[in-house]
Amino acid sequence: MELVDHLALGFGIALTPANLFFALAGALIGTLIGVLPGIGPIATIAMLLPLTFHLEATSGLIMLAGIFYGAQYGGSTTAILVNLPGETSSVVTCIDGHQMARQGRAGAALAVAALGSFFAGCVSTLLIALFAPPLAKVGQSFGAPEYFSLMVLGLIAAVVLAHGSVIKAVAMIILGLLIGLVGTDGNTGGTRFTFGITELTDGIDVATLAIGVFGIGEIITNLTQPQETRSLVAQKITRLWPTRDDFRRAWPAVLRGTALGSILGVLPGGGATLSSFAAYALEKKSARDASQFGRGAVEGVAGPESANNAGAQTSFIPMLTLGIPGNAVMALMIGALTIHGIQPGPQIMTERPGMFWGMIASMWIGNLMLVIINLPLIGMWVQLLKVPYRFLYLAILLFCGIGVYTVSNSSAAVLLAAFFGVAGFVFARLECEPAPMILGFVLGPLMEENLRRAMRISGGDPMIFLKRPISLGLLIAATALCVLVALPAIRSRREEAFQEN
Amino acid sequence: MLARKDVLAGLLFIGVALLGLYISRDYPIGTALRMGTGYVPRLLCWTLLGLGVVVLVQGLREAPVAGLQSSGALATWRSVIFVTASLVIFGLTIERLGLVVSILLLIGLGALAARGLRPLETLVAALVLIVLSWGIFILGLGLTIPVWPEW
Repeated sequence: MELVDHLALGFGIALTPANLFFALAGALIGTLIGVLPGIGPIATIAMLLPLTFHLEATSGLIMLAGIFYGAQYGGSTTAILVNLPGETSSVVTCIDGHQMARQGRAGAALAVAALGSFFAGCVSTLLIALFAPPLAKVGQSFGAPEYFSLMVLGLIAAVVLAHGSVIKAVAMIILGLLIGLVGTDGNTGGTRFTFGITELTDGIDVATLAIGVFGIGEIITNLTQPQETRSLVAQKITRLWPTRDDFRRAWPAVLRGTALGSILGVLPGGGATLSSFAAYALEKKSARDASQFGRGAVEGVAGPESANNAGAQTSFIPMLTLGIPGNAVMALMIGALTIHGIQPGPQIMTERPGMFWGMIASMWIGNLMLVIINLPLIGMWVQLLKVPYRFLYLAILLFCGIGVYTVSNSSAAVLLAAFFGVAGFVFARLECEPAPMILGFVLGPLMEENLRRAMRISGGDPMIFLKRPISLGLLIAATALCVLVALPAIRSRREEAFQEN
Repeated sequence: MLARKDVLAGLLFIGVALLGLYISRDYPIGTALRMGTGYVPRLLCWTLLGLGVVVLVQGLREAPVAGLQSSGALATWRSVIFVTASLVIFGLTIERLGLVVSILLLIGLGALAARGLRPLETLVAALVLIVLSWGIFILGLGLTIPVWPEW
C-alpha cells in the first residue's frame, strides 16, 4: 500500500534524533506560549522563523508545526485553571473548563482536554496523509489562471470565515498585497515603494512584518490595556483521571469536535479558533440538557479542545498541497519554506517527499509527546503563570528584537519591525484584523506572477479567468461567498458564531 | 478623541491608498498583456481607496461609541513611545556596541513602557535575559552577533 510506504518514509525521517529533538522543542515551546496569555503562536513562530534558517528545512518545519499544535494543548491549561484563554482558540474552554476546576474537577478537565486533543491529533494526521496526495495531484493540473482564481477564492474565504468586518478585512488584504509589492519587481526590474531606502530594494521579509505586527504590536496593545487579575485555582490537583461518567459523556463530544475541526481546518480562514467556537456551539445544540453548559459540562471542554487541535492540523493540508495559506500561521510556514528556497505548491510532495511525510509523521509523534509530557508537567506550567506580564513582555520584546535582527543581520529590519509594531497597535485599536494582511502579503507576489502569466497566455484578455471552467468555478464560489456574507440573515449568524458566553 | 473606529480606519486606508497613488505616479503602467511596474500597484491602490471610502461612510453612519477602552491617553503614549524607542536603539546599537550593551539599553528603555517595574527588578531581568540570549543565540545557535562593544 502506498500510504504505508509514505508513512514509513515519514517516520524514518521524523524518528531521527535531531528531528525528535526539534519536535519536542516545538511542542514544549508551543505549550509554554500556549499557557502564557499575552503571546500567541503567530508571534512566536515569527520570532523563531529567522532561526530556522540555521536548521535543516525539515527540522525547522517540524519545530514550527510543533509550536502551533503545542499551543492548542497549552491554551487549555490556562483556560481551565485561570479562566483566561492562553490562546484565542481556547476562549470557549474557559466557560465550562474553569467551572469544572472550581468544582474540584480541574484534573479531569485537563485530562479530557489533553486526551481529546490527542485523539483529534491522531485522526487529523491520518486525514492529512490520506487527502494530501490527491489534492496535490489536482493542484498540479492547475495553470496560471486557475491558480490566480484559487488564490482569490482563498483570500475571500479567509475573510468571510474570520470574525470582524468583512470590508475592513478585504482592505487589510489589499494593504498586505501592497506591502508585498515593496522592493524590486522581478519582471521589469523596477523598484516599487522603496521610499529611496536601499534596504527595501530586496523587499520586506515576512518575519519582519509578522514580528512587528503580531509580536511588538501585541506588546503595546497589552501594555495599554488594564491589567487583568488572574484567579488561579488554588487547590492542588489531586485526581487527574476522569471518572467513568466523564468518559461516557466526553467521547461522543470528542468525535464530533474532531470531525467538525477537521473540516473547518481545511477551509481558508479556518483553523483552530473557528473550530473551537463552532464545536462549542454544536455541543450546546446537540446536548440533551443544554442548561448544564456554563456550569462545568465536560462536553464543553472535550468538543472544543478536540476541534481546535484537529483544525490546527488539517489547516496544513491546503498549505502543503496547494501552497495556499488558510491562516496567518500557515502564511508564516510558507515564509519558512521560502527561506530555504523551497517553492511552496503541489510539487513539494513529489520533489521533497522526505520533508513532506517526515513533517506529517512528526505531527503524530509530537501529539504523543504532548500528552505524555503535559499531564505530569501541569504543575510546572501553572508555576509559570505566576510570572507577571511586566517581566514577560521584556523577554518577548528582546526576542522580537534579536529575531528581527537575525532575519538579515541588518539594523534596518529592526527599525522596520518597530514601525510595523506601532502599525499593529493602531490596527488593534481600530479593530482591523492583521491576519488577512499577512495572507495578502504572502500571496501577493504569487498572485501578481500568476496574473501576468495568465495575461500572457490570453494575450491580454482578462476574460481568460471566466473562459477556463475550473477558474470560472472558483471565481463563482468566491462571488457566492461575498453575496452570502452580505445577506442580513447570514451576517447576524456569522457574528453570533464568535460570541459565546 | 474621535471614538468612531471605522471613521479612523477608513481615513487610514484612504491615506495609504493616496500615498501609494502619489508614489507610483511615475511607475510605468504598461498594458494588461505587458504589465509595467506600476500596473498592479495602481490597481491595488484604487481598490483600497474605494474600500476606504466605504469603511468611512459606514463609520459616519454609526453612532459614536463613548470613549475608547484604555488606561488613559498618557499611559498609552508612554507604552507606544518606549516600546518603539527601545527597539530602535537596540537596532542601532547591536552591531557597534554588541549584544550585552544593546540588551541593557533595550531593557532599560523598554521597562519604562509599563508601570510598576522597580529598578532592581529591571536590572535582574536584564542580567537574566543577557545570559539567556547569550546561551541560546551565541552558544546554542552560533549566530555571529558581536557580544562586546567593538572599538
